[in-house]
Amino acid sequence: MNEFVERQMKLTWRPPKKSYDVVIVGAGGHGLATAYYLATRHGITNVAVFERGYIGGGNSGRNTTIIRANYGIPAAVRFYQRSVDLYRGLEEETDRWLMHQAKGLLWMAHSEAAVRAERMRAKLNTEFGAETEFVEPQEVQELCPQLDIEGGGRWPVLGASYHPQGATARHDRVVWALAEGAMERGAHVHQNTPVEGLILDGERVAGVRTAAGDVAAGAIVSAVGGHVSRIAAMAGLRLPIRSHRLQAFVTNHYRQQLGPIVASSELFFYASQTARGEMLLGAEIDPQPSFSYRSSHDFVQDVCRRALNLLPFMANLRVLRQWTGVCDMSPDYSPIMGRTGVPGFFITTGWGTWGFKAIPAGGEQMAELIATGEVPELIAPFGLDRFARDRTMADRGSAGTH
Amino acid sequence: MATLLVDGQRVEAQPGDSLLVTMLRAGLHPTGGGCLCLGGDCPNCLVTVDGVAYTRSCQVPARDGMVVRRDHLGGEEPALLSDEPMSAGNAAPVHHVHCDTVVIGQGDSGREAAREASDAGLDVVTLDARDGQHVTGVYPGPLVVASDQAGRVLHVHPRREIVVATGAAEIQPVVPGSDLEGLVTGRAAAELVAAGVGLGRVVAVGERPSELPEGTLAAHVPIGQDGWKLVRFEGEGRVEAVVVRRHADADATEERIECDTAVLGLGRNPRNALARMASDLPVRVVGSAAMEPELPACPREGTVCPCSGVTVADLDGVWERGFHEMELLKRATLAGTGTCQGGVCLPYLRSFLLERGGRLQPAFTARPLNRQLTVRELAAGAHTAVTARSPLHDEHLSLGARMDRAGGWWRPWTYGRNDDEYRSVRERVSLGDVSSLGKMTISGPDAEAFLERIVPTKVATIRPGRCRYVLMLDERSYLLDDGMLCREANQGGGDRFFLTSTSGGSGFFELWLRDWAEAFGYDVRILNHTASLAAINVTGPQAARLLARAGARALPAFGLHRQVRIAGVDCRVVRLSFTGELSYELHHPAADARTLWRRLLAAGARFSVQPHGLETLLRLRLEKGHIVIGQDTDYDSTPRRLAHDWAVNLDKGDFVGRQAILRTNKQPLDKRLVTLLTDDPPPRETLEAPSAEGAAIHDGERYAGYVTSDAGTTAGGRRPMLGWLYLDAEGNLPREVTVDGRAARRIDGATYDPEGARARAAVDLASESSENVPEFPVARPEATDLAAEFPTRPPRLRRLEATRVSATPAALDAVVAEPPWPAGALAFRTASDELLVTATPDFEVDGDPHAIVERETAFSYVWLDDATAERFLDRESEWRRPDARPALGQGEVAGIPAKLWFETGRTLILTPAPFAAAFQRRLTGSLAEPDGATP
Repeated sequence: MNEFVERQMKLTWRPPKKSYDVVIVGAGGHGLATAYYLATRHGITNVAVFERGYIGGGNSGRNTTIIRANYGIPAAVRFYQRSVDLYRGLEEETDRWLMHQAKGLLWMAHSEAAVRAERMRAKLNTEFGAETEFVEPQEVQELCPQLDIEGGGRWPVLGASYHPQGATARHDRVVWALAEGAMERGAHVHQNTPVEGLILDGERVAGVRTAAGDVAAGAIVSAVGGHVSRIAAMAGLRLPIRSHRLQAFVTNHYRQQLGPIVASSELFFYASQTARGEMLLGAEIDPQPSFSYRSSHDFVQDVCRRALNLLPFMANLRVLRQWTGVCDMSPDYSPIMGRTGVPGFFITTGWGTWGFKAIPAGGEQMAELIATGEVPELIAPFGLDRFARDRTMADRGSAGTH
Repeated sequence: MATLLVDGQRVEAQPGDSLLVTMLRAGLHPTGGGCLCLGGDCPNCLVTVDGVAYTRSCQVPARDGMVVRRDHLGGEEPALLSDEPMSAGNAAPVHHVHCDTVVIGQGDSGREAAREASDAGLDVVTLDARDGQHVTGVYPGPLVVASDQAGRVLHVHPRREIVVATGAAEIQPVVPGSDLEGLVTGRAAAELVAAGVGLGRVVAVGERPSELPEGTLAAHVPIGQDGWKLVRFEGEGRVEAVVVRRHADADATEERIECDTAVLGLGRNPRNALARMASDLPVRVVGSAAMEPELPACPREGTVCPCSGVTVADLDGVWERGFHEMELLKRATLAGTGTCQGGVCLPYLRSFLLERGGRLQPAFTARPLNRQLTVRELAAGAHTAVTARSPLHDEHLSLGARMDRAGGWWRPWTYGRNDDEYRSVRERVSLGDVSSLGKMTISGPDAEAFLERIVPTKVATIRPGRCRYVLMLDERSYLLDDGMLCREANQGGGDRFFLTSTSGGSGFFELWLRDWAEAFGYDVRILNHTASLAAINVTGPQAARLLARAGARALPAFGLHRQVRIAGVDCRVVRLSFTGELSYELHHPAADARTLWRRLLAAGARFSVQPHGLETLLRLRLEKGHIVIGQDTDYDSTPRRLAHDWAVNLDKGDFVGRQAILRTNKQPLDKRLVTLLTDDPPPRETLEAPSAEGAAIHDGERYAGYVTSDAGTTAGGRRPMLGWLYLDAEGNLPREVTVDGRAARRIDGATYDPEGARARAAVDLASESSENVPEFPVARPEATDLAAEFPTRPPRLRRLEATRVSATPAALDAVVAEPPWPAGALAFRTASDELLVTATPDFEVDGDPHAIVERETAFSYVWLDDATAERFLDRESEWRRPDARPALGQGEVAGIPAKLWFETGRTLILTPAPFAAAFQRRLTGSLAEPDGATP
């Protein structure tokens, strides 16, 4: 018997209606979380989420499931800490096993510049409510006995920032629990129903054209991932978003032994062990913009080589599967949430490689915006208009590895 | 005879045995049960071999001395850490193979495809699992990655076509009892019988196994609409009976047929994963791999996915709760996510979904890895990024320096005497190695116009012999890099400039310049000197006296540069200052760096010269308020935010970033990089004490920014910092703030020598007596005579003495046609506008008055004989070697940029000198690896 077979969630599918108060495009984590928080926090349930494929089939089901708040600018630390907190309570709130596990995240430094950066991260995080401390090599070794602290003689660990609340959760289950929670309160989710166009009423977006017919809506939220530029174009918007491939891979499963999440921004990789026992490895995005879902050999080859420097025990593990997601990257490595300047049309995008960790907070805040009409303080700095206003949210703590 | 250990028990293997056959002979089922296919399609024969778990024992030949553990018995998970000793950090050797066509699978159709391609005159490579070549993936390139029996990893690069002839897998049973021992597929049974493994009483279910010898079968039960239906297997641990009943009749009585082995013929499913993962590559599928999948009947009970232990009841459970898509079914149950990647369960999942939903859903996406290699095998051929070495690297080490990676270079971080390193700059004289700075020469009729277009400084007003600090901006006016721009004295040939970047920027510097030159269509020559020129910063009040004692006859005034021979070495001496003291930056050929460094140290002995490391430099510049790109700047750092508006001239015409500056200047300023001084310096006697970097700045209660640089308390008891300070709601930049709760004051200008008098100090060399200046022999280097050198064993890299030319393509064509250099010199056309020639730089390029012709010592070289070159390059270069001789190739070898010159009988490799040590290490290491030809 497989303990990881899903045995709790119930998804209820209903036929689409002609009109909803809110239509959300994209049934990934952010779209479903928006529906979930609209239903649970604001009692708004006349809501439909349209999905071109299956729920959680985009980056929500392709990420490396890391939850953390150790970002590099105050607004981001606050926002992601909100998400870390919501994640911690999500199993209890939904009464579903999401395999959430706080395991701590070690971000290792191999040079003096990186040591400074990690010290800075720890200080800034602490100031804005995220728990991060700088730890010396000895303590790094104690936190992760499997590490070769000498880095194979070439990449010695000079220290690390340690983020004890760094966690992982099973990405699919997060998506399903939010879907279930929204559905059981009356929200609709429509799979295999691509949104093919927007219905305009003057300047206002008043509905969506779907494969299943036209649907009117009081508010429309784009929660589309890698292909967000296409939806935005339907509203006449040009977004500062480029789509890039992000790849990852897992090994076969092994007994639970690797404690924390281990990351190195100089070797550009990170690793964690999943609840099921797989070693999960990822690295930075592909530098060239692309919509391709094709995985490459040089990715798995390079990341394996980098990992061997710090985690030599991996040498004999067999790699099982690699995959690719298409990330919506913003120029400042921060998300874009809020109004668009087009009446009736809201957006949550720019989730790049940090979307999963933001699902609950992103959904909660977008729901509040739609329900109250007021931009919540937590996401006010992340509006689309920041680019026109030259108020970008450049975040070094966000770029690199995740 | 081979003897191996299985769970500590000695087991004898017979010649030709797979590990699985050996184990079955000894009565050991690898996983304790489940139908065996012997085709690598199922997870039922997984074992740990020599510390590698998830190894398909049917695909591994039994070898003497093998240590086998049955870690997967009953679906157990192996431990993460192997208890066998491990060669930490090593990747497996790679072997690159180039061909026209690669044929994967050597069954009938694969052999046929290979023969056809061969007959057509194509260069064919065949891969077959029976030869230990397990293909893990087909990737863009195209690239086919496979293991081989020798422990190498094959990277096959087909130019024309990939033929997938992987055949079909036999469908496994899904009924209660399908996890018993004694179940085999038809093909497996035939192989076991041929190997002489006793099967006892054999009952065939489904298709009659055609390959089994006459008389093997005790009974045969056909399956299907006209025959029987398989109900379950019975037995304790091992199958004792097959239970069937008439297919059409649900009420029919079950029949129990006793057996020791059940042979299953339930249909076949194409092994097409490799083709499916390569849909847009030139892939052709032949033979049974191309067949339509045969969908088995929808399973009623039993284990569907043996890898993840998913039962039909599990599928039903998630289906009932709304998981109806193939991907959701897979994700909710984990069926298809184990070792066989759906090889066993996929046909059943499809038939399950068809029956429940009335819709045939496509197979889930096929992804690499088709056959699972280990991390060390996958890493084969990859190298971690190489860190460049200055030509003074060994000098620093011998002076006790601790080297640190910074901006892609090894830099001396500290010589272990931080306080004296600091004082030597402020009070005496010091040397700093700044060889890692990016360095470019730009010449040509449009040189000035080009630079005017890409830097925000007014270039026209930089007179010959002068230099100026410049910013480099992107189109959004964010700071990319900074450096200094020197206009050379007119040389008749027109304008020529020398431009530096930071060490970290040197990697993209040349591309950045060339991209803009091409984008705007400027007629310029660009030559990258980053590795060609070393640079030593001589800094401190006694800097000029030191240089005088090193033979400098004249030195430039502040803001100027000139060619000066110092200690016998020709240097471009640039006088600007980053440390705040009198400073001369000596740019000189990398080959002369060690000589110059040692002579400068000797000449400075009477001033107690002490080199300073990067840690001290960061402290010195902080007192001057100089920014460090990447530490103090961010992705949104405009000149205005950095308070560097003074380095921007908006009146001079368009330049990269100008439009963005005009646009953003209309927005109110939000933050500015400022210098802060704490009135109350926290006790921080040593640099090891906690730094305030990252500390929040508060303006009263308001969060007002954070500190980016803090180097601790300096000599005068002050503690300057740099940090981002946000303007308040009224648009004012606060003056009094707190850092970490301590009062701090924003100050304008530098905290050290704010007038800049020390850096700009007038210098009188005349007072220096020339009596104390020793004779410095001047090196007159001869160009390397490559033609006269031959491969040595072991091969050793040496520095090349040559000349590099940047000129118009037409001018270079003419020069190459009628070489002005001595016969015997080798000329490598490394780009249409660039030439590397093993001659001294005492010739001119007639066709181009703007040509740059300069001594080049940026490369190291090694000759390899043919056998060594082949051995090395088959492993360390993915490129196909040219057939013609001689021929030039450029690309990456062993993860390091290289130029290759192929002659008959020998091959020359050139690599940038900063990477020579790493290249030598990789060359030696690669040649020392076992050949891989023998297991």
